[in-house]
This record gives sequence, C-alpha cells and structure tokens, in this order.
Amino acid sequence: MKKTFLNVLALAGVMALAACGNDANEADSGNGATTAASATASAQASASAQASSSASAAPGAIQDGSAKLLEETRKLQDAIDKQDAEDVKALGKSINDIWLSYENAVRQSFPLEYTDVEKYEMPIFSASAYDKIDYAALKANAASLIDAVTALQNAKPSAANASELLAKAVEKYQSYVSEQMDLLAAQTQSFVDAVKAGNADQAKLDYAQARIYYERIEPIAESFGDLDPKIDARLADVDDPNAWTGFHRIEKALWADNSLAGQDKYADQLMTDVKELQKQAQGYELEPKAMVAGAMELLNEAATSKITGEEELYSHIDLVDLAANVEGSKTVYLAIIPALNESHDDLAVKLDEAFQSMEQSLAGFVKDGQYISYTELTTDQIRQISDQLSVLSNLMSQTAAIL
Amino acid sequence: MEQHPPGMTRKDFLKLSVAAGAGLAIGASGLGAILNLNGKPANKASAESNDDAIPLYGAHQPGIVTPPQTYLYLASFRVTSKSKADLAGMFKDWTRFCDLSMAGGTMRTGDNPLVPPSDTGETLDLPPSKLTVTFGFGPSFFLDEGKDRFGIARLAPKHLKDIPRMARDHLDPSISGGDICLQVCANDQQVAFHAIRNLIRLSTGIASLNWMQEGFASGKPGTTPRNLFGFKDGTANALHDSPDGYDRVVWADEGEPDWLRGGSYLAYRKIRMKLESWDRTSLADQEDTFGRHKVSGAAYGAKGEFDPVDLSSQPVNAHVHLAKQTKQQMHRRAYSYTDKVDPRTGNVDAGLLFISYQRNPDEQFIRMLRLMQSKDALNEYVDHVASAMFACPTGLREGTYIGQNILEG
Repeated sequence: MKKTFLNVLALAGVMALAACGNDANEADSGNGATTAASATASAQASASAQASSSASAAPGAIQDGSAKLLEETRKLQDAIDKQDAEDVKALGKSINDIWLSYENAVRQSFPLEYTDVEKYEMPIFSASAYDKIDYAALKANAASLIDAVTALQNAKPSAANASELLAKAVEKYQSYVSEQMDLLAAQTQSFVDAVKAGNADQAKLDYAQARIYYERIEPIAESFGDLDPKIDARLADVDDPNAWTGFHRIEKALWADNSLAGQDKYADQLMTDVKELQKQAQGYELEPKAMVAGAMELLNEAATSKITGEEELYSHIDLVDLAANVEGSKTVYLAIIPALNESHDDLAVKLDEAFQSMEQSLAGFVKDGQYISYTELTTDQIRQISDQLSVLSNLMSQTAAIL
Repeated sequence: MEQHPPGMTRKDFLKLSVAAGAGLAIGASGLGAILNLNGKPANKASAESNDDAIPLYGAHQPGIVTPPQTYLYLASFRVTSKSKADLAGMFKDWTRFCDLSMAGGTMRTGDNPLVPPSDTGETLDLPPSKLTVTFGFGPSFFLDEGKDRFGIARLAPKHLKDIPRMARDHLDPSISGGDICLQVCANDQQVAFHAIRNLIRLSTGIASLNWMQEGFASGKPGTTPRNLFGFKDGTANALHDSPDGYDRVVWADEGEPDWLRGGSYLAYRKIRMKLESWDRTSLADQEDTFGRHKVSGAAYGAKGEFDPVDLSSQPVNAHVHLAKQTKQQMHRRAYSYTDKVDPRTGNVDAGLLFISYQRNPDEQFIRMLRLMQSKDALNEYVDHVASAMFACPTGLREGTYIGQNILEG
C-alpha cells in the first residue's frame, strides 16, 4: 500500500486543494494534517476576533453613523422639496459615503435593519449618478430611509439560530416575490392594453417596465412548468415558430415588424399566463435551497443571454433585464445576510463590494433616466460588465454553503 | 486516512473537509504556513517517484529550456484590480495551483454538494504529463500608459518593451501583448487545458483574460520538431544545449533587476502560414526559401542537420542565410497552431507560434526579426498577425510565490 500525505490549501473564494504524492511518509501526513487543522483553527479565530471586535465597536459607530445619516437625509428632503438637482445629487453622494463608513458594522450586528437601510439608500445614491431626477420616487425613498435608520437606532441584537435565520430569509424573500408579481401583473395589463389599442409608443414604454419585474424573479416563474416558456420564450427557443407566444413575440412586432396587427391574441394570452403565474406563485412554498439557487440562476442568465444581447433581440433593452437580474439576485443576498453573518461574514463583505461595484458600473450606462441600448455598448464596456458579473457569480455560488 | 493501491497518482487525491467558513477566512493572510507545508512534500514526492512530473521550483522557471512538450496554451491577462494585495493573492493562488497540478494533484472536487467543486475535475485520472506553467510579465505590467499602478515601475527590466513595428506587420492588437503571460505546456492536451482553465478561474476579479492560443508540436524524441511547412524548426538550439550555453543565450543576468537574473525574455510572434500556396510550391523553391534540405534538415552545402552553415552556398534571401548573418543565438520553443477556415477562400488559418527565449531581446531577437521581415524569402508565405514580449522571472524557491520578488521587491 502506498502511503499518502495531504495538503490542505484554501484558495480565495473557498477553494481548497488536496493532493497526494506517492512516497511521502507518515510523518509528512501527520504534519500536514496538524498544520492544516491549525490553519483552520487560526482562520476561525481570526474570523471570530473580527466579528467580536466589530460587535464591540459597533454600538458607538452605529449610533454616530445613524445620527449623521438622519441629518443628511433631512437635508436631502429639503433639497427634494426645493427640486434643487445639484444639492440632491451632492447629498446622494454624501449619504452614500456616510452609509459606507459604517454599514459593515450594521450588517454584522443588525442584519435585518441593514437590509432596509440598504434598500432605500441605494436608489438615493443611484439618483446622484443620473442626469434626470424622479423627485416623487426620491421623496418616498427619503421618507422610508428616515424610518429605516430610526428603526436601526432602536434595534436590539437578534438571538435567532441558523435555521430560524434562514426561515426568516425565505419569508422576507417571498414577500418580495409576491410584491414583484403584483407589479408584473399590473404592468403587463398596461402593456397589453396599449398593444390592443394599437399605441406602439406606450406599449414600448410599458414593455421595458414589465420586463424589469419579470427578470427580477424569473427563476420563480421557471418553477411552474411551461409558464416561463409561454411568457418569455425567444424565437430561437421554440420548436414551432407558429406556436411562439409571450413578451418577445410582441417585442418583435413592436421593434422589428413595426406593426401591431394580429397581436391582440398574443396580448390576451400573455395576460392570462401572467395572471396564472401570479396565482400559482401565491401558494408556492419556497425552499431555502431553491431561493439561493435562484439567485445564482439570475446571475447566470445575466452573464449568458443578457450580456450577449440575445435576450432582447429587437428592443435591445438587455441592460434593463441585466440590471433586473442583478437586483433580484441582490434581494436574495440581502435576505440571507443574517445567515451569512453566522459563519461566512467574509463572503458577505465581498458580496457587498461586488454588488456595489456592479451597481455603480451599471449606473454609468443610464441616460435620460433609462439604460442605453445594448447596441450602444462598446466591446470593452460589455467585457467590463461581464467581468464584474463573473466576480459576483463566483461569490454567489459560494453562498449555498450556509444551507 | 484512506489508503490507495499502488500505481496511482492523481487517483490518490483525498477528500478533505475544512471546517465550514474556514476557506474564505484563510485567504491570503494564512498563506505563509500553508504554502510551506504544501511545497515540500508535494515536490519531494513527485521529484523522487514520478518522472512524469517536472518540478516547479529550481534555479530557473520550468518550460523554458525544458524539452518541448506536445501541447501548448499561451494566455495573456490584463490586470483589472487596483489592489496590490489582491494581485499578490492571485499570484499566491496561482503558485499553489501550479505546485499542486505539476505534481499531479487536483484541487478539491466537492465536499459540499451545494457549492461548485473547487477543481473542474477533468484530470482526476490523468498523470502530470510533464505539465509546466511559465510566468512572464509584459511592459504594461510595470507601466500602464504611463501609470505606475503598483509602484513597481522602478523594477522594470532593461530590455522589456513591445516589439517595435516591423515591415509587413499585420498585427491584431486583440491577440497581442498583455500584462501577464502564462505559457502552459504538457504532453496531454487535456492536462494542459485543465491547468489554463483553472488558472483563469483563479484570476476572476483580479485579472481579465485578453487572449489564449493553443498549439501543438510533435517529433520523435531526440529529433527537431517540424513546422507546418514540413521543415525542421529549432535546429540551432543544439548550439547552446549546455549549462554554459544557456547562461550565454537564455538567462538574463547583469544589468537586470534581481527578480529577472536567472530569468529570460519571451518573444512571441503568431505567424500565419499560407499553407495552400506553400503546398503548390515546388520542392526546389521550398528548399531555396529556407536554405535547407527538407527531409534531412541539412543546410545547403552541408550533409547533416547539425553541420555548420556555409553562407556562400545559400541563396541571399534564404531564411537560414539571414538568421546566420546576424550571428545571434536564441532558444527556440515554437509550436504550430490551427484556427478557423476563411469562409471566402476555404483556406485554413494555420501557422507557427514563434516563441523564443533570450537574455537580451534587443541584440538577439529584434535585429534578426527586422532583417527577416524586410528580406526573408519566407515572407511570401507568411503574415505576422500577433506579437508580444514578456519578461519571465527567475526560478521559484519553495515557500515563495510567483511575482513576489517584484511586488515585494
């Protein structure tokens, strides 16, 4: 029998190596195991040291940060009331700087409250990068941010265990899904109405909006048999082009054929299918595993069909879909932060950075409040987005370790 | 611990479980101890027991004067991260992967079914196959459009620059140059691809793949491989095939930064060969073009392949005549390539991946290239379509990582 020895190596991103040679002796193998084990132990020690230091440093930092954030957000509310674009943009940036300065401590200690602040803070920061400001939406966000930060100031550390944390994550994500389903149904209705009224301009606007809600939660739709293909198939996906239905069928009519003639039946069918989807999703019991896998699927979708411009072949709004995929995936990430904090806090930090850089990069492609057409992107720009998606997907693929 | 029957190499891999969460936390900071642990036994085992494995560590990098393996992947990366620490982290990961895979190991293949396996797995049942990975750095690694990104510009090698414009260049910038070069070679293409594939995976977020080129070279052991024109390629390597000869021709030394002393410059040209017109050329014209006999490899006026070349017997523009005229030597390590079919002509895009190693490319390579591209009779049959120069560091010591003497130099 050959003797074996082992090496344990961890690569960034939870990669570990194992190898065997032929002639290493028992001493080598014993030594290897010991060193590997102690490396593991010291890694855990350093992780917990980090966790405890941020927890002990947290209360002061969180109170200070929250006070500053509230003050700055109130200034923002004034600027919104005055419709002062310059101030709104400047405050969007300073609000983000304040949040970044202490968000890691918040994520560690108060993951649930963290998610709410993040949810309302992000669009405020994004608005600072856009050339056109939606004051009404921003006003609502600012008010919600005040509530979220106030809740954070009064938050008590949670003592939930791992499975409770996961159950809460699923619950939180399910409420997001049902909210998006409702928005999808309403927006699809508006789209369908415009198509049937022959109002192509309105239909195009509604189309882009409806796609967002669908693309955020697409993996859920894929859980229900043939509903996803009926709603979202591309021409290249279907066996029989004559049986092709759904969003992309009408997309072709709007952008390629430039005629809505004969589209009523597709519009009606789409509405029926979306309503059926909404109904089925209501009674759907989501497993944590499926939720995490769905987040991964969304990024894979973005990294394959959206980044290549294949998804929106006629309208070229692939960036809209891609951003919605990222948002949907981020919602899962936000939901599982409490569970990640338990054992994978490094992963949460890295995911946070990766989502931030992805969002910042995407914000750079917004013109007049809308994502630019895929056809306007240079190869280098597409590659940049693709590289960022790879980083994000790699990290997201490790989140299943919490299950 | 599991025991395996004799005669197994890669199959001997163990499935280990690391406590949940440790993987990420170890990261770069815990590396020192782990690297030492890994380096010693892995290498000792392979060097003593497995002549199919080439050591990663030594006075010089493997893959330079190593006899050419059958398959090549040459890949170029652009560093996208602005963080020097992250960059060092990638080099550490690459070093650990090379240490492991050159000795015939693999990364872990799945202790947790819910996350992707660390290793892609296609070499699990394959021997090391003389796998080598050779690292090089391009001019833009040190100074990127005038920017010293990592505070290493002062460590730039004396002769490192993009190969200057030549007559008849048809270069495609998208397959030329780069910050970092990996030359992966093995006698099994699947082993070579496994290495480059996983090295690319490990670069995610730090570096972005610019281009990748695959190549092949075949010859009976002890003979000079032939290129796709059917002529022997690299005959002159025999002239410096000794430690002294390598010191004279290949290994950089005086006047170079410490990290390069004992390293070498890699010059790369992707040369498309117009196979269809060549194959319609008479044997006499083919031999006149090279100045050598096709079958024996002997130069005109000589009997054997390795006999001295007599310039007076050579057509003035013959390839060998021009090469000898410069009185320079270099270490050739060429591979052939095949790509796509040109849909307009039906011609196959194929040719030579010219790779040479030398201590001073200004003297040993660029002058010769200039002469060749202006006068070589071969020009009628070739197009240079890609170009790059990289400086390949000296050999790696156990416990250190590739590029360490630059990033921490």
